[in-house]
Amino acid sequence: MKISLNWLKKYVDIKVSDEELVRLIGARLVEVEGVIDETHKYDKIYVVRVESAEKIPETHLTLCQINVGADELVQVVCGAPNVREGMLAAWIAPGAVVPASVKEDAPFVIGKRKMLGRYESNGMLAGADELDFGDDHSGIVEIDPEEARPGDLLADVFDLNDSILEIENKSLTHRPDCFGLIGFAREVFGILGNEGEFSEEELSRDLLEPKMRREFLHVEKDIKIKISDPKICARYVGLVLAKHGEIKKKYLTFTDTVLAKAGMRPVSPIVDATNYLMLLTGQPLHAFDYDKFVQVGGTETAEVNVRLAREGEKLELLDEKEIELAPFDIVICSGDTPVALAGAMGGKSTEVDENTKNIILESATFSLYNLRKTQMRHGIFSEAITRFTKGQPGYQALAVALKCAELLKDGFKFATIADEYPDEVVPSVIKISTEQINGLLGTDYSEELISKTIKSVNFEVSVRGGEFEVKAPLWRTDIHIPEDVIEEVGRLLGYDNILPTLPLHATSSRNKMWDLKTRAREIMASFGANEVLTYNFVSEKLLMKAGLSAENSYKIINSISPELQYVRQSIVPSLLDKAFVNQKIPYDQFALFEINKVYQKAWGLDAEEVPVEKMQMGFVVAERKSVGTAYYKAQKFATEFLRKLGISAEYVSVMRDYDGNMISANRGKKADYDSIMIPNAVIMPFEPKRTAEIFANGVKIGVVGEFKNSVRRNFKLAEYLAGFELDFDAVLGLVAMKKVGKFGAREKLDETVETAGTYAETLKKMQEKYPNAEITPVSIYQAEGSETKNMTFHVEN
Amino acid sequence: MDELEKLKLELKNLNIEYAKIKTVAPEKRGEFGRELNAKKNEILAKIAAEEERLLDTEAPAIDVTAPMGVNEKMPEVYPVFQGSKHPLMTELDRVTGIYQAMGFDVVESRQLDDEFHMFDSLNFAKEHPARDGYDTFRTEEGLIPPAHTSTMQHRVLKAYRDKLKNGGEIAVVVPGRVFRNEDVDATHEHTFYQCEGVYVSKNCTMGDMLGILREFFEKYYEQKLNIRTQPGYFPFTEPSLEFLIEKPKTLGGKKGDFLEMLGCGMIHPNVLKMAGIDPNEYHGFAWGGGIDRLVMLKYGLSDVRNFESGNLNFLKEF
Repeated sequence: MKISLNWLKKYVDIKVSDEELVRLIGARLVEVEGVIDETHKYDKIYVVRVESAEKIPETHLTLCQINVGADELVQVVCGAPNVREGMLAAWIAPGAVVPASVKEDAPFVIGKRKMLGRYESNGMLAGADELDFGDDHSGIVEIDPEEARPGDLLADVFDLNDSILEIENKSLTHRPDCFGLIGFAREVFGILGNEGEFSEEELSRDLLEPKMRREFLHVEKDIKIKISDPKICARYVGLVLAKHGEIKKKYLTFTDTVLAKAGMRPVSPIVDATNYLMLLTGQPLHAFDYDKFVQVGGTETAEVNVRLAREGEKLELLDEKEIELAPFDIVICSGDTPVALAGAMGGKSTEVDENTKNIILESATFSLYNLRKTQMRHGIFSEAITRFTKGQPGYQALAVALKCAELLKDGFKFATIADEYPDEVVPSVIKISTEQINGLLGTDYSEELISKTIKSVNFEVSVRGGEFEVKAPLWRTDIHIPEDVIEEVGRLLGYDNILPTLPLHATSSRNKMWDLKTRAREIMASFGANEVLTYNFVSEKLLMKAGLSAENSYKIINSISPELQYVRQSIVPSLLDKAFVNQKIPYDQFALFEINKVYQKAWGLDAEEVPVEKMQMGFVVAERKSVGTAYYKAQKFATEFLRKLGISAEYVSVMRDYDGNMISANRGKKADYDSIMIPNAVIMPFEPKRTAEIFANGVKIGVVGEFKNSVRRNFKLAEYLAGFELDFDAVLGLVAMKKVGKFGAREKLDETVETAGTYAETLKKMQEKYPNAEITPVSIYQAEGSETKNMTFHVEN
Repeated sequence: MDELEKLKLELKNLNIEYAKIKTVAPEKRGEFGRELNAKKNEILAKIAAEEERLLDTEAPAIDVTAPMGVNEKMPEVYPVFQGSKHPLMTELDRVTGIYQAMGFDVVESRQLDDEFHMFDSLNFAKEHPARDGYDTFRTEEGLIPPAHTSTMQHRVLKAYRDKLKNGGEIAVVVPGRVFRNEDVDATHEHTFYQCEGVYVSKNCTMGDMLGILREFFEKYYEQKLNIRTQPGYFPFTEPSLEFLIEKPKTLGGKKGDFLEMLGCGMIHPNVLKMAGIDPNEYHGFAWGGGIDRLVMLKYGLSDVRNFESGNLNFLKEF
């Protein structure tokens, strides 16, 4: 939202500098995202009178002599069809920048030049588009002679030397009142600590709740309003205006400049008036063509019905799109026919056009909950719906409608008015004490100061012995509980005036998983591995490349791209993806690891009915030029890592069937893959014939292995490639059971065993032979053509 | 004949079928072609799967129980200089370390949660537009990868409320990974880290909150800092504010150059009530802020995308 400081100053007496004001607004009301400096945007642009205007034959140009407030007339060539003798125009003097180009990289500077080779032209007479007041390029702007004289600076006449605040809307989600300039001004009054109460007198001139009632109006066109449910529409004012003359938009107006500063564009006198009032009060308005409205409804006079849409109903909107209405959409109906999507957009069938004779002006308020759904479903993000979805209260609907009628009085007169107000705004009354306020803020504000502060933003306050009874003004729909009043006090007096203090330090207890992760990172980095962080969200393609099924992944329905559509089931596939990135750089050898949370649908929900989550460490080692069995490299990292945590790992082949029986490692047929006991999807990218499950103390804690040829090919990685994935919840359980080391003198020996069995079987025999000894491997040798291997062990007894 | 040969023969026969299209009535040719194409695609997929299976079958078995390959040297881990820790994790450890020294427990945040913890338990009215401000992702089941670490607030309050009865206080920080549906550029990531703080006692004040936050940032940046606040809006705190620090000179800051570090406020009575804590007896405060920005400021980094790039050129700098 954009707020013009000059416009603001029309409503509040501001004695501090602009810089200080911006700081105070930031500290006490809302974040100011930026300030657009327009103090020089209209430099050297003057009001001038066209003294003579001569058509240049055979061109569309006019040769003008203009009075710029100096003794001598200035000659300027003008191409606009509406230039004529005697009019006041806006003149961009030579050397000035065209305002519409101010923000461009190379702002356009107007000069002096020869036209058609002989007519000297000094500067230019400007159109609304060049002045940045709209898109109108049909002619030059004309200025009201009652407002200005030749030689006046345009900026002085229209208050254009301005600074525009860019306000962060999110912080005002709960403050519908601040989405109108008047509401914003009330706050600024309170922030500045101005004496007394914010006077509505200044506003009253603009926004008087008039005493006019239906009987005083000249009733020509009748209107009836019916609201099906006060929950969807708390108030609906329908005001009928009858045309009695033309509103000729002749002169550039203050309204035009206000709309421009707020980033809106002039459209037509009726739309401009409604937009202007919305910016001023926060109350959006909508105009219907009365006669079309009646015709569509097939009624004699206008019958406005506000109700929820029905299944299957359709509506053509002003932007000519036909939408299918949802049962939560609120619709305005003529009789029973929907003619507008409430709060969002009017309908085509009742659009106001140049032939419109009578209009219905709608000033209403709708359920923000319904409108939010409407906004999302139909993708409508207008200035009006932005205000409605903050929950505009209905208290000012009538006043704003009448004010709009007044703005349009040159072309329209009152016909009649109807006002349905089934859910009247009731002001909140809250009891609170000085002690409560200071107790929460940590301040010692006096009763007087508190009272003065909340009165300055129009709360009614009565005090009795430190106890306040506070009545919120009608527009403060955000005030419900004592804390809301405490916020007012703290905010308006400045949170920065609260003295920071420190409560006594408690003693904390350690988070064991957090500490394990910290240690794990230390250990892995000391092994020369690199920690990476990768996204939780992966593509179906990545899952498939790793041999996983997307069906086991939670699927994101509003993902940014297909690349980020599924929640990952394990860490390793993401690491394979990053291994490719790094092998391409190229890094010849590296080891990547990541510790993070993973989710699988197969794991189901926990006691809180949210998905079971697991903390896992993934690891991938990749070398470009190496030969040898990468499996043992990954296993070495796992062994050493676990050893540092005091865990001794055992590796068990995964080639087992459902009953836990070993499968012949050499068969490798399809059936074997299917019958492998799969602990979870973690194991899927791994090649079963070159993969082990990691056990410690009889607990399975992970898997280590090389990857399937197909997986390696899919990720385009060099042959020397392996990895592991550890279940950190299981690891944490074992860290606590660290065994005590052996001390004292030891007998050392090396022993070689000839065997046709596996290493594990051989090691087991050695352990039986040397109980309680520490046995470490030295080498495994197999002569060419031999059926057996020689395994050498180092034994410390 | 093995499976692959069978499939290839099937494909060959199918290709012959295509020639029959001339004998089919012109109006039925479209359908005929579509059926054949569907069959062909099916066979091609089977061939690819079978080829993949055969490729995988090629891998010879090894003794996975052994610590080294036959006739291979015992493998070694890499030299220490090659290793690195991720800067975000290192700094997140420092952050929690500072809070731990100040008496805060550490509870890590979930990475997939539900509507109740993300919004309902935090006093967001059903269907309230404030929920839109978080740009949340959603799964088919309606689960939410949390957009803020506050998703843990309700759990923390419940888990620790007994400490209050024993005259103690709740003091917990919640580090974690959070997610927003945002387009990624140099300063925006859809995945980033936050750290939440929750403090509840009989008589803590907003002054205490400002004091704790100032102490934290001064310890983190190892210098005295100017702090500032501005009003904010969060449904789960009342009053709500944003906390700013003046960018330290040592990090290239100029006077008056304030940076928004986090959102904070006094915990809304409804949030306490929902967690079974009597707001008339206890009150508290909470805050939450991004870690990525903190780290970028500290190291002078300009592109947030590096963090999740997995690129060793970047990671080896740390």
